[in-house]
Amino acid sequence: MSESHSTIMYQPEIETLSRDEIRALQLKKLKKQVAWTYSRVDWYRQKMDEMGVSPDDIKTLEDVRKLPFTDKSVLRDTYPFGLFGVPLDEVVRLHASSGTTGKPIVVGYNNHDLDVWRDCIARLAQMAGVVPSDRVQMAFGYGMFTGGFGLHYGCEHLGCMVIPASSGNTQRQLMMINDYQSTVLVATPSYAMHICEYGEKHGFDWSKSSLRIGLFGGEPCPPALKQEIESRMHIICTDNYGLTEVMGPGVSGECLASRDMQHIAEDHFLWEIVDPKTGEPLPEGVPGELVLTPLDKQAFPVLRYRTHDLTMVTTEPCECGRTHARMKKVRTRTDDMLIIRGTNVFPSQVEDILAQIDGVSPHYRIEVDNETGLDRMVIMVELLPEAFSDSFNEMDAFRKKIAQKLKQTMLVASEVKLIEPGGIERSFGKTKHVIDKRK
Amino acid sequence: MAVSQISVFVESRPGHLKRILDLLEQCSVNVRGYSCSDTGDYGITRFVVDRPDMAMKALKEAGVAVTESQILCLKLEDDPGELARVFGVIAKLNMNVKYSYSLISTYIAVGVDDVATAEEALNNQPVEFVSQQDLQA
Repeated sequence: MSESHSTIMYQPEIETLSRDEIRALQLKKLKKQVAWTYSRVDWYRQKMDEMGVSPDDIKTLEDVRKLPFTDKSVLRDTYPFGLFGVPLDEVVRLHASSGTTGKPIVVGYNNHDLDVWRDCIARLAQMAGVVPSDRVQMAFGYGMFTGGFGLHYGCEHLGCMVIPASSGNTQRQLMMINDYQSTVLVATPSYAMHICEYGEKHGFDWSKSSLRIGLFGGEPCPPALKQEIESRMHIICTDNYGLTEVMGPGVSGECLASRDMQHIAEDHFLWEIVDPKTGEPLPEGVPGELVLTPLDKQAFPVLRYRTHDLTMVTTEPCECGRTHARMKKVRTRTDDMLIIRGTNVFPSQVEDILAQIDGVSPHYRIEVDNETGLDRMVIMVELLPEAFSDSFNEMDAFRKKIAQKLKQTMLVASEVKLIEPGGIERSFGKTKHVIDKRK
Repeated sequence: MAVSQISVFVESRPGHLKRILDLLEQCSVNVRGYSCSDTGDYGITRFVVDRPDMAMKALKEAGVAVTESQILCLKLEDDPGELARVFGVIAKLNMNVKYSYSLISTYIAVGVDDVATAEEALNNQPVEFVSQQDLQA
């Protein structure tokens, strides 16, 4: 165990509990949480009554499987306040999902919920190496999105100087980094990349900047993109995971000893991995859909929330000394899956393949149409300046090589279109990788 | 006496080439000849300019995919058969003309695989070479 990994821990008394102690704590909290939810939220009471299950049936952690799943549609159907577990007078904050499809979903927090949330954020910030003397520049959008206020109050709680820059106005972001000597940048990875490129174009020397840590969230961070940002901005980047429906960011965070995994705050969240089609539990280590039950939510309790995120979880010990289970970073959502001429395609596969090809950036866009009656997938790939050659033959061979590699893994043919360097739009929130024009 | 040619990756979409030309104009680089062709989704536009170093610097700084190569630049007599005569010299070398385009007046740019050999062969012929300095005039 390396010293630098183990020294900083926000709540060591919780983060290093034995597995048995964690399970005992989870069971105690689960019983309480189910009773709370059953007695206060009509939807759950009716659902559980229909299923013939009562809070007293929860005797072991495995009994969580007796409870109903909650899908996003339930949150839409009960919009806006149907699932709240406290009188609205006691709610001190509302947030909403980004609402990319249909109506937004709204969640609420009372003071207790906000305390838990701050602790979760402070914990993941410390996992990434953030200390109270850090100056945290918040380049997340504020507004209804949980990321902005979540990270803001968590880092403030830790004792950092928080600079609420919000997202956008990249020139001003650079000015703030320079003038306030910010040491931590909170952003979506795609926006961090944009800040990086903008700075390089305008003569900002990242090797001399005060920044040392990037705390990313809001969208998956492909390893290739992270490495690129780390080497170009001269910072260490970690990303964390969470979703509005169960709290927001803070469900899990990356420690510096296990870079492809994130520690789940297990004292606050009970995880299950299920088969996305059948909902049946899968053994530890097998990839499947993550299902989360918050154990400390009062204003907006949800049971067994179907995240639609694909991951795997391990309870194996981590070098950092934390005992909380680790989930593999989420790269794929069960509903991101595209079906092209009968074959399942995940956008994250494209990302993985591009990361292995020299001469292209990790940025891409997929366009799908069926104008000719058959599904046609076009993958826009960003050429790097060094890969350009003054020969149509070479460029075409390069394009065909990319198409070939994509086909080998995805088992379905696509057209590759080369795009100029920087030509794929960088987003400020969720990067839209797929444009599906099929009718 | 080869000259520099600047090749740029361009996408087939409105305004892309204009952006490249604006970048050249901003650093007062004069385009003395160019070649653009219809090749589908993307293409290579080739430029012969008065100050290639300046042009390369400006385009690279703007993040453009750009590369510099050496080509021959010749000034022909404005008479029938002149082009045939010059290309005949290269054909005799059993060498392909990969592409060729005309510049200002009867200047033509010629891209071949082996610039030095083609240059040597043409040196013995009544045809005038154009140098980078000539292009600045």
